[in-house]
Amino acid sequence: MSRQASRLDAKKVNSEFLTLTYGALVTQMLRDFENAEDVNKQLERIGYNMGMRLIEDFLARTSAPRCLEMRETADRIQQAFRIYLNIQPTISNWSPASDEFSLVFDSNPLTEFVELPPDLTNLRYSAILSGCIRGALEMVQLEVQCWFVQDQLKGDNVTELRVKFVRRLEEVIPAGED
Amino acid sequence: MTIFNLYIFDKFGTLLHYAEWNRTKKSGITREEEAKLTYGMLFSIKSFVSKISPHDPKEGFLYYKTNRYALHYLETPSGLKFVLNTDTTAINVKELLQQLYAKVWVEFVVRDPLWTPGTVVTSELFQSKLDEFVRQSPIFGIRNI
Amino acid sequence: MSEEILFDCLHAEIVNYCLDSNKEHDLATLEYIGFTTGYRLIERLTREVSRFKDELETMKFICTDFWMLIYKKQVDNLRTNNHGMYVVQDKAFRFLTRISPGTKQLEHAPKFVAFTCGLVRGALSNLGINSTVTAEVQSIPACKFHIEVNRN
Repeated sequence: MSRQASRLDAKKVNSEFLTLTYGALVTQMLRDFENAEDVNKQLERIGYNMGMRLIEDFLARTSAPRCLEMRETADRIQQAFRIYLNIQPTISNWSPASDEFSLVFDSNPLTEFVELPPDLTNLRYSAILSGCIRGALEMVQLEVQCWFVQDQLKGDNVTELRVKFVRRLEEVIPAGED
Repeated sequence: MTIFNLYIFDKFGTLLHYAEWNRTKKSGITREEEAKLTYGMLFSIKSFVSKISPHDPKEGFLYYKTNRYALHYLETPSGLKFVLNTDTTAINVKELLQQLYAKVWVEFVVRDPLWTPGTVVTSELFQSKLDEFVRQSPIFGIRNI
Repeated sequence: MSEEILFDCLHAEIVNYCLDSNKEHDLATLEYIGFTTGYRLIERLTREVSRFKDELETMKFICTDFWMLIYKKQVDNLRTNNHGMYVVQDKAFRFLTRISPGTKQLEHAPKFVAFTCGLVRGALSNLGINSTVTAEVQSIPACKFHIEVNRN
Protein backbone atom coordinates (compact mmCIF):
# COMPACT_ATOMS: atom_id res chain seq x y z
CA MET A 1 0.00 0.00 0.00
CA SER A 2 2.52 2.57 1.15
CA ARG A 3 4.85 1.61 -1.67
CA GLN A 4 2.56 3.37 -4.11
CA ALA A 5 3.17 6.89 -2.94
CA SER A 6 6.66 6.51 -1.58
CA ARG A 7 7.76 7.99 -4.87
CA LEU A 8 6.16 11.23 -3.77
CA ASP A 9 8.78 13.77 -2.89
CA ALA A 10 8.13 14.76 0.73
CA LYS A 11 9.78 18.17 0.29
CA LYS A 12 7.58 18.96 -2.68
CA VAL A 13 4.47 17.81 -0.86
CA ASN A 14 5.35 19.98 2.15
CA SER A 15 5.76 22.96 -0.08
CA GLU A 16 2.49 22.32 -1.94
CA PHE A 17 0.66 21.73 1.32
CA LEU A 18 1.83 25.12 2.57
CA THR A 19 0.99 26.81 -0.73
CA LEU A 20 -2.51 25.35 -0.90
CA THR A 21 -3.28 26.04 2.76
CA TYR A 22 -2.14 29.62 2.38
CA GLY A 23 -4.26 29.93 -0.75
CA ALA A 24 -7.29 28.64 1.12
CA LEU A 25 -6.68 31.20 3.86
CA VAL A 26 -6.40 34.10 1.41
CA THR A 27 -9.59 32.96 -0.31
CA GLN A 28 -11.37 32.86 3.04
CA MET A 29 -10.17 36.37 3.87
CA LEU A 30 -11.40 37.68 0.53
CA ARG A 31 -14.77 36.29 1.51
CA ASP A 32 -14.56 37.94 4.95
CA PHE A 33 -13.45 41.40 3.90
CA GLU A 34 -14.81 43.64 1.24
CA ASN A 35 -11.65 45.37 0.27
CA ALA A 36 -8.25 43.98 -0.54
CA GLU A 37 -6.49 46.48 1.72
CA ASP A 38 -8.05 44.82 4.76
CA VAL A 39 -6.92 41.42 3.54
CA ASN A 40 -3.39 42.79 3.07
CA LYS A 41 -3.43 43.99 6.66
CA GLN A 42 -4.56 40.61 7.99
CA LEU A 43 -1.95 38.72 5.98
CA GLU A 44 0.74 41.13 7.10
CA ARG A 45 -0.32 40.68 10.73
CA ILE A 46 -0.28 36.90 10.44
CA GLY A 47 3.19 37.07 8.92
CA TYR A 48 4.34 39.37 11.70
CA ASN A 49 3.16 36.93 14.37
CA MET A 50 4.83 34.03 12.58
CA GLY A 51 8.07 35.98 12.27
CA MET A 52 8.14 36.55 16.02
CA ARG A 53 8.23 32.79 16.58
CA LEU A 54 10.27 31.71 13.58
CA ILE A 55 13.14 34.01 14.53
CA GLU A 56 13.69 32.01 17.73
CA ASP A 57 13.88 28.78 15.76
CA PHE A 58 16.25 30.43 13.30
CA LEU A 59 18.54 31.77 16.04
CA ALA A 60 18.59 28.45 17.88
CA ARG A 61 19.18 26.50 14.68
CA THR A 62 21.99 28.66 13.33
CA SER A 63 23.50 29.99 16.61
CA ALA A 64 23.73 33.26 14.73
CA PRO A 65 25.13 36.19 16.73
CA ARG A 66 23.57 39.64 16.64
CA CYS A 67 23.99 41.48 13.32
CA LEU A 68 26.12 44.60 13.41
CA GLU A 69 25.12 45.98 10.02
CA MET A 70 22.38 45.62 7.43
CA ARG A 71 24.53 43.61 5.03
CA GLU A 72 24.73 40.84 7.61
CA THR A 73 21.01 41.09 8.20
CA ALA A 74 20.36 40.70 4.48
CA ASP A 75 22.48 37.54 4.38
CA ARG A 76 20.56 36.09 7.33
CA ILE A 77 17.21 36.82 5.72
CA GLN A 78 18.43 35.11 2.58
CA GLN A 79 19.53 32.13 4.67
CA ALA A 80 16.14 32.01 6.38
CA PHE A 81 14.33 31.83 3.04
CA ARG A 82 16.58 28.92 2.14
CA ILE A 83 15.89 27.11 5.41
CA TYR A 84 12.14 27.62 5.59
CA LEU A 85 10.97 27.94 2.00
CA ASN A 86 13.81 26.27 0.16
CA ILE A 87 14.28 29.26 -2.12
CA GLN A 88 17.14 31.68 -2.40
CA PRO A 89 16.30 35.28 -3.20
CA THR A 90 19.07 37.44 -4.65
CA ILE A 91 20.15 40.42 -2.58
CA SER A 92 20.52 43.51 -4.72
CA ASN A 93 19.92 47.22 -5.26
CA TRP A 94 21.65 48.46 -2.12
CA SER A 95 21.07 52.11 -1.35
CA PRO A 96 24.27 54.21 -1.20
CA ALA A 97 23.97 54.40 2.60
CA SER A 98 23.67 50.60 2.83
CA ASP A 99 20.46 50.89 4.78
CA GLU A 100 18.07 49.61 2.14
CA PHE A 101 18.15 46.58 -0.16
CA SER A 102 15.99 44.31 -2.28
CA LEU A 103 15.29 40.60 -2.11
CA VAL A 104 14.61 39.41 -5.63
CA PHE A 105 12.73 36.15 -6.17
CA ASP A 106 12.76 34.31 -9.48
CA SER A 107 9.93 32.19 -8.22
CA ASN A 108 7.66 32.37 -5.22
CA PRO A 109 6.29 29.08 -3.86
CA LEU A 110 3.31 30.88 -2.28
CA THR A 111 1.97 31.91 -5.66
CA GLU A 112 2.71 28.70 -7.54
CA PHE A 113 -0.91 27.86 -8.37
CA VAL A 114 -2.29 31.38 -8.25
CA GLU A 115 -3.67 33.73 -10.84
CA LEU A 116 -4.94 37.09 -9.71
CA PRO A 117 -8.27 38.19 -11.17
CA PRO A 118 -8.19 41.74 -12.61
CA ASP A 119 -10.43 43.15 -9.87
CA LEU A 120 -7.87 42.23 -7.21
CA THR A 121 -4.92 44.34 -8.29
CA ASN A 122 -4.77 45.88 -4.82
CA LEU A 123 -4.27 42.52 -3.18
CA ARG A 124 -0.75 41.91 -1.94
CA TYR A 125 -1.07 38.16 -2.07
CA SER A 126 2.31 37.46 -0.45
CA ALA A 127 2.00 40.10 2.28
CA ILE A 128 2.74 37.36 4.79
CA LEU A 129 6.40 37.51 3.69
CA SER A 130 6.88 41.19 4.43
CA GLY A 131 5.05 40.75 7.74
CA CYS A 132 7.26 37.85 8.64
CA ILE A 133 10.46 39.82 7.97
CA ARG A 134 9.21 42.73 10.05
CA GLY A 135 8.17 40.53 12.95
CA ALA A 136 11.40 38.57 12.97
CA LEU A 137 13.64 41.64 12.79
CA GLU A 138 11.72 43.47 15.46
CA MET A 139 12.54 40.61 17.82
CA VAL A 140 16.23 41.28 17.24
CA GLN A 141 15.79 45.00 17.88
CA LEU A 142 15.62 46.12 14.26
CA GLU A 143 12.74 48.18 13.04
CA VAL A 144 12.40 48.02 9.26
CA GLN A 145 9.95 48.87 6.55
CA CYS A 146 9.24 46.18 4.04
CA TRP A 147 7.22 46.40 0.84
CA PHE A 148 6.75 44.87 -2.60
CA VAL A 149 8.29 46.72 -5.53
CA GLN A 150 7.57 44.08 -8.18
CA ASP A 151 5.28 41.09 -8.15
CA GLN A 152 5.12 38.24 -10.66
CA LEU A 153 1.41 37.93 -9.91
CA LYS A 154 0.98 41.38 -11.41
CA GLY A 155 2.93 40.61 -14.54
CA ASP A 156 6.45 41.57 -13.43
CA ASN A 157 9.36 39.32 -14.38
CA VAL A 158 10.44 38.85 -10.80
CA THR A 159 9.07 39.45 -7.33
CA GLU A 160 11.03 42.14 -5.50
CA LEU A 161 10.72 42.83 -1.82
CA ARG A 162 12.35 46.00 -0.50
CA VAL A 163 13.68 46.20 3.07
CA LYS A 164 14.57 49.54 4.62
CA PHE A 165 16.29 50.05 7.97
CA VAL A 166 14.36 52.45 10.20
CA ARG A 167 16.09 52.26 13.56
CA ARG A 168 17.71 50.03 16.10
CA LEU A 169 15.41 49.52 19.07
CA GLU A 170 17.11 50.22 22.38
CA GLU A 171 17.26 47.66 25.12
CA VAL A 172 14.80 48.40 27.87
CA ILE A 173 16.54 49.69 30.98
CA PRO A 174 15.18 48.08 34.15
CA ALA A 175 13.59 50.40 36.70
CA GLY A 176 16.15 51.87 39.08
CA GLU A 177 19.10 51.44 36.71
CA ASP A 178 20.61 54.12 34.55
CA MET B 1 28.92 18.83 39.43
CA THR B 2 25.40 20.03 39.87
CA ILE B 3 22.79 22.54 38.85
CA PHE B 4 20.98 24.76 41.33
CA ASN B 5 18.47 26.94 39.54
CA LEU B 6 17.47 28.63 36.30
CA TYR B 7 15.93 31.98 35.43
CA ILE B 8 14.64 32.82 31.96
CA PHE B 9 14.00 36.50 31.25
CA ASP B 10 12.74 38.21 28.12
CA LYS B 11 14.20 41.42 26.76
CA PHE B 12 11.90 43.51 28.90
CA GLY B 13 13.12 41.86 32.08
CA THR B 14 9.97 39.80 32.60
CA LEU B 15 10.74 36.55 34.38
CA LEU B 16 9.22 34.09 31.91
CA HIS B 17 10.20 31.02 33.87
CA TYR B 18 12.00 29.92 37.04
CA ALA B 19 13.01 26.42 38.10
CA GLU B 20 15.25 24.99 40.80
CA TRP B 21 16.82 21.63 41.61
CA ASN B 22 19.43 21.49 44.34
CA ARG B 23 19.02 24.88 45.90
CA THR B 24 19.16 24.48 49.67
CA LYS B 25 19.40 28.11 50.76
CA LYS B 26 16.74 30.68 49.93
CA SER B 27 17.44 34.35 49.45
CA GLY B 28 14.81 35.38 51.98
CA ILE B 29 13.07 37.71 49.57
CA THR B 30 10.13 37.05 47.26
CA ARG B 31 10.68 35.38 43.90
CA GLU B 32 9.66 38.62 42.26
CA GLU B 33 12.21 40.72 44.17
CA GLU B 34 14.90 38.15 43.59
CA ALA B 35 14.22 38.16 39.85
CA LYS B 36 14.27 41.94 39.75
CA LEU B 37 17.61 42.03 41.59
CA THR B 38 19.09 39.36 39.35
CA TYR B 39 17.96 41.12 36.20
CA GLY B 40 19.21 44.50 37.40
CA MET B 41 22.59 43.03 38.37
CA LEU B 42 22.92 41.33 34.98
CA PHE B 43 22.03 44.52 33.19
CA SER B 44 24.70 46.46 35.09
CA ILE B 45 27.40 43.84 34.81
CA LYS B 46 26.74 43.52 31.10
CA SER B 47 27.09 47.20 30.38
CA PHE B 48 30.10 47.44 32.71
CA VAL B 49 31.83 44.50 31.03
CA SER B 50 31.43 45.91 27.55
CA LYS B 51 32.32 49.46 28.62
CA ILE B 52 35.56 48.41 30.33
CA SER B 53 36.61 45.85 27.71
CA PRO B 54 40.01 46.67 26.13
CA HIS B 55 38.91 45.00 22.88
CA ASP B 56 35.65 44.59 21.04
CA PRO B 57 33.72 42.67 23.72
CA LYS B 58 32.12 40.22 21.22
CA GLU B 59 29.95 38.00 23.39
CA GLY B 60 30.44 40.10 26.51
CA PHE B 61 29.50 38.75 29.90
CA LEU B 62 29.51 34.93 30.13
CA TYR B 63 29.69 33.93 33.81
CA TYR B 64 30.91 34.80 37.26
CA LYS B 65 32.10 32.49 39.97
CA THR B 66 32.22 32.58 43.77
CA ASN B 67 33.80 29.91 45.92
CA ARG B 68 30.43 28.13 46.20
CA TYR B 69 28.63 28.61 42.90
CA ALA B 70 28.90 29.94 39.36
CA LEU B 71 26.32 31.99 37.49
CA HIS B 72 26.24 31.31 33.73
CA TYR B 73 24.61 33.65 31.28
CA LEU B 74 23.38 33.18 27.75
CA GLU B 75 21.64 35.98 25.89
CA THR B 76 20.14 35.31 22.48
CA PRO B 77 20.06 38.03 19.79
CA SER B 78 16.33 38.22 20.49
CA GLY B 79 17.11 39.32 24.04
CA LEU B 80 16.10 36.12 25.83
CA LYS B 81 18.30 35.62 28.86
CA PHE B 82 19.06 32.23 30.32
CA VAL B 83 20.69 32.34 33.74
CA LEU B 84 21.88 29.08 35.22
CA ASN B 85 23.48 28.68 38.63
CA THR B 86 25.72 25.63 39.01
CA ASP B 87 28.46 24.56 41.38
CA THR B 88 31.98 25.72 40.59
CA THR B 89 33.14 22.60 38.76
CA ALA B 90 30.51 22.58 36.01
CA ILE B 91 31.92 22.79 32.49
CA ASN B 92 30.46 23.40 29.02
CA VAL B 93 27.51 25.23 30.51
CA LYS B 94 27.27 27.61 27.58
CA GLU B 95 26.71 24.68 25.24
CA LEU B 96 24.15 23.29 27.63
CA LEU B 97 22.24 26.58 27.60
CA GLN B 98 22.37 26.70 23.79
CA GLN B 99 20.89 23.21 23.72
CA LEU B 100 18.26 24.17 26.24
CA TYR B 101 17.29 27.10 24.05
CA ALA B 102 17.07 24.99 20.87
CA LYS B 103 15.68 21.72 22.20
CA VAL B 104 13.42 22.80 25.01
CA TRP B 105 12.54 26.48 24.72
CA VAL B 106 11.95 26.58 20.97
CA GLU B 107 10.32 23.15 20.88
CA PHE B 108 7.92 23.49 23.78
CA VAL B 109 7.41 27.20 24.32
CA VAL B 110 7.88 28.93 20.97
CA ARG B 111 6.01 26.12 19.21
CA ASP B 112 3.20 25.91 21.75
CA PRO B 113 0.24 27.54 20.00
CA LEU B 114 -1.35 28.35 23.36
CA TRP B 115 1.63 30.44 24.47
CA THR B 116 1.61 34.15 23.70
CA PRO B 117 5.09 35.63 23.17
CA GLY B 118 6.17 37.82 26.07
CA THR B 119 4.04 36.06 28.67
CA VAL B 120 5.03 33.90 31.62
CA VAL B 121 5.37 30.24 30.70
CA THR B 122 3.05 27.96 32.61
CA SER B 123 3.07 24.91 30.31
CA GLU B 124 3.50 21.74 32.34
CA LEU B 125 4.77 20.03 29.23
CA PHE B 126 7.61 22.54 29.03
CA GLN B 127 8.32 22.18 32.75
CA SER B 128 8.61 18.42 32.55
CA LYS B 129 10.76 18.55 29.39
CA LEU B 130 13.00 21.12 31.05
CA ASP B 131 13.32 19.02 34.18
CA GLU B 132 14.14 15.95 32.13
CA PHE B 133 16.71 17.89 30.09
CA VAL B 134 18.48 19.27 33.17
CA ARG B 135 18.46 15.96 35.05
CA GLN B 136 19.90 14.14 32.05
CA SER B 137 22.69 16.63 31.47
CA PRO B 138 26.19 15.51 32.52
CA ILE B 139 26.47 18.65 34.64
CA PHE B 140 23.54 17.69 36.85
CA GLY B 141 25.49 14.69 38.11
CA ILE B 142 25.24 13.50 41.65
CA ARG B 143 25.22 16.01 44.36
CA ASN B 144 27.98 16.15 46.96
CA ILE B 145 26.74 17.00 50.41
CA MET C 1 11.99 19.83 10.26
CA SER C 2 12.32 23.43 9.11
CA GLU C 3 9.23 23.27 6.94
CA GLU C 4 7.41 21.71 9.84
CA ILE C 5 7.73 24.68 12.16
CA LEU C 6 6.79 27.02 9.34
CA PHE C 7 3.56 25.16 8.71
CA ASP C 8 2.83 24.77 12.42
CA CYS C 9 3.12 28.54 12.84
CA LEU C 10 0.84 29.15 9.87
CA HIS C 11 -1.66 26.64 11.20
CA ALA C 12 -1.68 28.31 14.62
CA GLU C 13 -2.27 31.69 13.00
CA ILE C 14 -5.10 30.35 10.86
CA VAL C 15 -6.68 28.97 14.02
CA ASN C 16 -6.40 32.39 15.66
CA TYR C 17 -7.76 34.14 12.60
CA CYS C 18 -10.79 31.87 12.34
CA LEU C 19 -11.66 32.04 16.02
CA ASP C 20 -10.96 35.71 16.55
CA SER C 21 -13.87 36.81 18.72
CA ASN C 22 -14.33 40.04 16.76
CA LYS C 23 -15.60 38.18 13.76
CA GLU C 24 -18.47 35.83 13.30
CA HIS C 25 -16.16 32.95 12.76
CA ASP C 26 -16.14 29.50 14.12
CA LEU C 27 -14.77 26.03 13.73
CA ALA C 28 -16.73 25.60 10.50
CA THR C 29 -14.56 28.22 8.76
CA LEU C 30 -11.46 26.44 9.93
CA GLU C 31 -12.85 23.13 8.75
CA TYR C 32 -13.68 24.66 5.37
CA ILE C 33 -10.14 26.00 4.91
CA GLY C 34 -8.98 22.44 5.57
CA PHE C 35 -11.54 21.07 3.14
CA THR C 36 -10.43 23.17 0.17
CA THR C 37 -6.79 22.44 0.98
CA GLY C 38 -7.39 18.69 1.21
CA TYR C 39 -9.47 18.65 -1.96
CA ARG C 40 -6.72 20.28 -4.00
CA LEU C 41 -3.81 18.57 -2.29
CA ILE C 42 -5.01 15.00 -2.83
CA GLU C 43 -5.27 15.68 -6.53
CA ARG C 44 -1.55 16.37 -6.63
CA LEU C 45 -0.70 13.43 -4.38
CA THR C 46 -2.62 10.81 -6.28
CA ARG C 47 -1.69 11.82 -9.80
CA GLU C 48 0.87 9.08 -10.10
CA VAL C 49 -0.88 6.56 -7.90
CA SER C 50 -3.06 3.88 -9.44
CA ARG C 51 -6.79 4.14 -8.69
CA PHE C 52 -7.99 2.72 -5.41
CA LYS C 53 -10.08 -0.36 -5.85
CA ASP C 54 -12.49 0.37 -3.00
CA GLU C 55 -13.36 2.53 -0.05
CA LEU C 56 -11.17 0.59 2.37
CA GLU C 57 -8.14 0.94 0.16
CA THR C 58 -8.75 4.67 -0.06
CA MET C 59 -8.97 4.87 3.73
CA LYS C 60 -5.75 2.95 4.07
CA PHE C 61 -4.06 5.40 1.74
CA ILE C 62 -5.23 8.29 3.93
CA CYS C 63 -3.93 6.57 7.05
CA THR C 64 -0.55 5.59 5.66
CA ASP C 65 0.89 7.69 2.84
CA PHE C 66 -1.24 10.76 3.29
CA TRP C 67 -0.79 10.82 7.07
CA MET C 68 2.93 10.18 6.75
CA LEU C 69 3.37 13.11 4.37
CA ILE C 70 1.29 15.56 6.33
CA TYR C 71 1.62 14.42 9.92
CA LYS C 72 5.09 12.84 9.71
CA LYS C 73 3.91 9.51 11.10
CA GLN C 74 1.40 6.81 10.35
CA VAL C 75 -1.80 6.60 12.32
CA ASP C 76 -1.69 4.26 15.29
CA ASN C 77 -4.93 2.52 14.53
CA LEU C 78 -7.62 2.31 11.88
CA ARG C 79 -10.89 0.56 12.65
CA THR C 80 -14.06 0.12 10.71
CA ASN C 81 -17.46 -1.42 11.35
CA ASN C 82 -17.62 -2.29 7.64
CA HIS C 83 -20.72 -0.11 7.35
CA GLY C 84 -19.02 3.13 6.43
CA MET C 85 -17.79 4.09 9.89
CA TYR C 86 -14.04 4.48 10.30
CA VAL C 87 -12.10 5.47 13.37
CA VAL C 88 -8.58 6.76 12.87
CA GLN C 89 -6.46 7.02 15.97
CA ASP C 90 -3.29 9.09 16.22
CA LYS C 91 -1.68 8.91 19.65
CA ALA C 92 0.61 11.87 19.05
CA PHE C 93 -1.22 14.15 16.67
CA ARG C 94 1.09 16.73 15.12
CA PHE C 95 -0.91 19.82 16.04
CA LEU C 96 -1.28 18.73 19.67
CA THR C 97 2.23 17.56 20.52
CA ARG C 98 3.42 20.94 21.85
CA ILE C 99 0.37 21.55 23.98
CA SER C 100 0.38 20.65 27.67
CA PRO C 101 -1.91 17.77 28.55
CA GLY C 102 -4.42 19.17 31.03
CA THR C 103 -8.10 19.88 31.43
CA LYS C 104 -7.67 23.61 30.79
CA GLN C 105 -5.86 22.93 27.52
CA LEU C 106 -8.40 20.28 26.55
CA GLU C 107 -10.99 23.02 26.00
CA HIS C 108 -8.78 24.39 23.25
CA ALA C 109 -8.26 21.02 21.55
CA PRO C 110 -11.16 21.33 19.06
CA LYS C 111 -9.45 24.33 17.48
CA PHE C 112 -6.38 22.30 16.62
CA VAL C 113 -8.16 19.38 15.01
CA ALA C 114 -10.84 21.17 12.97
CA PHE C 115 -8.53 22.00 10.05
CA THR C 116 -7.59 18.33 9.81
CA CYS C 117 -11.23 17.18 9.87
CA GLY C 118 -11.73 19.37 6.82
CA LEU C 119 -8.49 18.23 5.23
CA VAL C 120 -9.51 14.57 5.42
CA ARG C 121 -13.06 15.29 4.30
CA GLY C 122 -11.73 17.29 1.33
CA ALA C 123 -9.25 14.62 0.32
CA LEU C 124 -11.90 11.88 0.49
CA SER C 125 -14.38 14.02 -1.37
CA ASN C 126 -12.03 14.42 -4.30
CA LEU C 127 -11.48 10.65 -4.28
CA GLY C 128 -15.22 10.16 -4.66
CA ILE C 129 -16.13 9.53 -1.03
CA ASN C 130 -18.66 11.83 0.53
CA SER C 131 -18.20 11.84 4.29
CA THR C 132 -18.58 13.59 7.61
CA VAL C 133 -15.41 13.85 9.69
CA THR C 134 -15.37 14.69 13.38
CA ALA C 135 -12.60 14.56 15.95
CA GLU C 136 -12.46 13.53 19.55
CA VAL C 137 -9.67 14.48 21.94
CA GLN C 138 -9.79 12.83 25.33
CA SER C 139 -6.22 13.36 26.35
CA ILE C 140 -3.67 15.53 24.57
CA PRO C 141 -1.78 14.74 22.33
CA ALA C 142 -3.94 11.77 21.26
CA CYS C 143 -6.81 12.25 18.84
CA LYS C 144 -9.47 10.06 17.26
CA PHE C 145 -11.01 11.03 13.93
CA HIS C 146 -14.43 9.56 13.16
CA ILE C 147 -15.14 9.28 9.46
CA GLU C 148 -18.70 8.52 8.52
CA VAL C 149 -19.17 7.75 4.85
CA ASN C 150 -22.45 9.05 3.46
CA ARG C 151 -23.50 6.37 1.04
CA ASN C 152 -26.89 7.62 -0.11
